[in-house]
Amino acid sequence: MKSEYNSIGKNIQRRDIVEKLTGQANFCADIALKDALSLKVLRSSRHHAVIDKIDVSDALKIPGVVNVFTAADIPGKNLMGIINKDQPLLAHDKVRSLADPVALVAAQTDEIARQAIKVINVTYTDLEPIFDIEAALAPGAPKIHKKGNTLFTRRIKKGDAGTAFETCHTIIEKKYMTHAVEHNYIEPDAGAGYVDEDGTLVIYASTQNPHYDHKEVQGFLGLKDDQVRIIQAATGGGFGSKLDLNVQGFIGLALYHLKQPVRYVYTREESYLATAKRHPFTIHMKTGADKNGKLKAIHIRAYCNTGAYGSYGIAVASRSAVHGTGPYEIDHVDIECACIYTNQPFCGAMRGFGAPQMAFAHESQMDLLAKKLGMDPMEIRMLNGFKKGSINGTGQQLIDSVGYPECLEKIMPYYEEALTNWVTEKTTPFTKRGIGIGGMWYGIGNTGVQNPSTARIELDQNGRVILYTGCADIGQGSSTILTQVAGEVLGIAPEAIQLVVGDTKFTTNAGATSASRQTYISGNAVKDAAEQLARVLLTEGANKLKVSKTALSFGDHSLQIAGHPERSVAFDWLAKRIHEKGVSLSWQGYFDPETIPLDLETGQGSPYATYAFACHLALVEVDVLTGQVSVKKIVAAHDVGRAIHPENVIGQICGGVAMGVGFALMEAFEFGKTLSMKDYHIPTCADMPEVIPIIVESVEPTGPFGAKGVGEPALIPTAPAILNAVSHALGKRLYSLPADLESVLQASIDSGHFGPEEKM
Amino acid sequence: MADFKYIRPDNLPEALDFLWDNGQDTAIIAGGTDVMIDVKSGKLDKKYLLDISRLDELKGIELNGRDLCVGSGVTLSEIYTSALLASNALALQKSAVNFAARQIRNIATIGGNVAHSSPCGDTVPSLLLHDAIALVADKKGIQHIPMEQMATSAYMSSLTPQQIIVKFILTPYQDGYADFQKIGRRKELAISRMSMAAFVKKDSTGRISFLKLALGACTPVPCSMGAVEAFLTGKVPTRELLWEAGGLLAERMIEITGNRSSTIYKKPAVQGLFMRILFPMVGS
Ligand SMILES: Cc1cc2nc3c(=O)[nH]c(=O)nc-3n(C[C@H](O)[C@H](O)[C@H](O)COP(=O)(O)OP(=O)(O)OC[C@H]3O[C@@H](n4cnc5c(N)ncnc54)[C@H](O)[C@@H]3O)c2cc1C
Repeated sequence: MKSEYNSIGKNIQRRDIVEKLTGQANFCADIALKDALSLKVLRSSRHHAVIDKIDVSDALKIPGVVNVFTAADIPGKNLMGIINKDQPLLAHDKVRSLADPVALVAAQTDEIARQAIKVINVTYTDLEPIFDIEAALAPGAPKIHKKGNTLFTRRIKKGDAGTAFETCHTIIEKKYMTHAVEHNYIEPDAGAGYVDEDGTLVIYASTQNPHYDHKEVQGFLGLKDDQVRIIQAATGGGFGSKLDLNVQGFIGLALYHLKQPVRYVYTREESYLATAKRHPFTIHMKTGADKNGKLKAIHIRAYCNTGAYGSYGIAVASRSAVHGTGPYEIDHVDIECACIYTNQPFCGAMRGFGAPQMAFAHESQMDLLAKKLGMDPMEIRMLNGFKKGSINGTGQQLIDSVGYPECLEKIMPYYEEALTNWVTEKTTPFTKRGIGIGGMWYGIGNTGVQNPSTARIELDQNGRVILYTGCADIGQGSSTILTQVAGEVLGIAPEAIQLVVGDTKFTTNAGATSASRQTYISGNAVKDAAEQLARVLLTEGANKLKVSKTALSFGDHSLQIAGHPERSVAFDWLAKRIHEKGVSLSWQGYFDPETIPLDLETGQGSPYATYAFACHLALVEVDVLTGQVSVKKIVAAHDVGRAIHPENVIGQICGGVAMGVGFALMEAFEFGKTLSMKDYHIPTCADMPEVIPIIVESVEPTGPFGAKGVGEPALIPTAPAILNAVSHALGKRLYSLPADLESVLQASIDSGHFGPEEKM
Repeated sequence: MADFKYIRPDNLPEALDFLWDNGQDTAIIAGGTDVMIDVKSGKLDKKYLLDISRLDELKGIELNGRDLCVGSGVTLSEIYTSALLASNALALQKSAVNFAARQIRNIATIGGNVAHSSPCGDTVPSLLLHDAIALVADKKGIQHIPMEQMATSAYMSSLTPQQIIVKFILTPYQDGYADFQKIGRRKELAISRMSMAAFVKKDSTGRISFLKLALGACTPVPCSMGAVEAFLTGKVPTRELLWEAGGLLAERMIEITGNRSSTIYKKPAVQGLFMRILFPMVGS
């Protein structure tokens, strides 16, 4: 592998930055289509009910109402879901939550559409609603879906945990709870569409997965591939929620019937109600170690409440089960994580797919074990942490790129400094300081399933390179990264590459922008495409320059004899020549990470081809009189394989920390009560700690130039580190998230810190 | 959003004239940071929006002898940066520090904060602390309303639809210790879970010679905490004494509100916040 790169590792200007900074980027709500109708959905007024009748006659009488659609108007299959199809576009026989769409109005204005949904009369017969997991699993509980209330259970069984616990010196057994969380991206969900001259339904979407949207919309409408075109508009964040369809299906249905431009822009309130949340978890975790602190056995029973529909629930259950051990070697593993239906609005993917919830539990356990064994929290992590050659809970050996020990080493000096100098420093009265560690591992890509990406690179007759990718850049910067990869292979500046992104008419499927997979998987697909084009160029270059291919190197849009830049041939000449010979100038790349599906009973297999690792150190101050917590500093070490764009990596880390602070201290979505941002607190810049990002590059041989991923890992260790720090400060542990004012003050009272004298 | 007729009078008499005839059908709008939320949600159904944000008569902060006057149209940003307030009503100035965030502070007014009558209004405790009196006008004349009587219940002001608050008249406090602190679910842009303002003077023997105290976000309408003030006056503040007084304050709050689900937090937090605010008085 080359030691010096031209593009890789450089903080080149981001592709979309000028449009974004100057306000020229077109988000869905900005797309102005002439005479576009407004769409609006009537949602269920019941948690769980049979629909007896939908009467739209009054709505149709309102001037300006163009039409009202119900499930009966869907010509194709009225079901969606990326993993399991259980969610209707419009409810037909019954409703399962307050978010369920019942009827779709198309009207001349937003205001008329809003009035129209008020006069649609739906007659329901109520069914008993179920909100929590206990009720859903109780014998005789009403079934929310025909197959029952357990959507899926992931089991991971290795060794003999039951017997191993008998020989453990120290066992910690606790119950952990986490709350539902809203993604709260800046851009509320929106879409727009029109029918073009040849009858294709063209839909602009705010999406993380345009090619999936394409298939779903086709399915609803019973249309062929080329009769629907999805174009990803500028997308203002997603964090997992825009993996589900938001308005694409409604736009498609209206276009199908009306053949007139339409648009649908969610208000923040509708975005809160109608889109997925992070799954709330209940986790029973039992961890055993020998007298030296070496982990021996783990037993986990975890439940996640997916609400009315699966969405990504199966992936969340599966990934959280795999990640339940944390980044630690444990020989005896017995894990079950079940995903349960209830009548809450549905939960789905959110940055980390259950791994953040699980990390809160396993990192609390590590600190509890350390305390009981009289060990230092860093020491116990060093002792048990994955290293090259370790075998994880699924029986997979980790061979290359295992940077966990290095992440811990990088954190160590900050940890020791904070422990000896910062924690002991005199503070303002009634303020207790504490520090905490959070460790994490994260499988790149989907769990134990094939999840390939494709890409296409084209050289035009003028020698320009065009990259086609279905990979949705939702603000995280994948477009920039992909041009760096292609540029590196072809020896051209990334900025010179023309990009076509997320337009199903021109691009091919790159899979979802999720699971921290795009740099690794789509990066490899782009690299594959670029290498194929490079091969053709080299062949023709060797023909022209009369030297062996190995003597050639790429220059600026040219090939040259290495060391003799004057002896070169330009891309445009080569392009014409290749074309004349009837050889393609357009090359498709493909990459599917090496995985082995997990056994349904034992969970043994190879769920991911590679893993990212990270460790955060949190420094916090707790006001023992009021329960206010202030996070002062986060030191965040991340093994990303190779940082293709270091500033982008740092951006992800800082954003992840912000989200982690929210998850740790304040974010709690209450179904039915949390209506908009006035009821829901995410951190503001005033709540942000100083962040010290540390990039660890443990190169992944199968990654594009050694890269893995960082999008989700950035968030995962923050909350565990903060919670461990709060426990350290108070000498009292909190077992549920968020650690809000109430629970922290209670912990302060329980630990004897609340009083006129300050307790040391 | 409902269809409003927007009216912007050039001066106070014009505004009062309009209200005299149309008060029932009119919503007054100053900064709009409360009003617009009700407009958007459809809660506010009035015919007219009367914009008073540019009326000169409602502007300005000045000290006239023993009267510290703060115009109702003064924004929170103006309060934040006012040197006059920092030296004569420090608690009020501090109440602007963590008020919403800068964008809101730039337009939100103190008059709107009081008239909105939210139990969580952040300027209210400090206005109580300074025995503020609201100067309220309608077409027929002027009325002086003490802060304690500005709200009849949570979110209900005692103003008639024809009235506008012109200014607040405060008793200035120069030498002494003053503070305002609030607890929210995050550091900025958070509605107060609880707030407290205090002003303390000690005599040469270290005894508390004067104490004023006001709580925010704890009771539906502002309430006097005279019992706690009386308890501490004349005493040397020690940790134990302040802790006891904080306990009394919590009891006084519960007397007014009864036990609610939020009391589990608020009872100890009132005591804790009181301790935190008054602690600098110990030993100094
Ligand atoms: C994001 C956000 C954050 C916020 N954070 C805080 C916070 O931290 N602390 C806090 O206390 N509040 C907060 N608020 C609430 C609001 O900003 C304040 O109450 C503000 O002071 C209202 O002032 P205004 O000028 O915007 O009032 P407006 O919205 O214009 O009016 C409010 C009410 O007062 C009436 N009114 C206004 N002026 C007069 C007058 N002179 N005479 C008679 N009636 C009048 C109006 O008719 C209306 O009923 C926040 C609001 C938002 C949107």
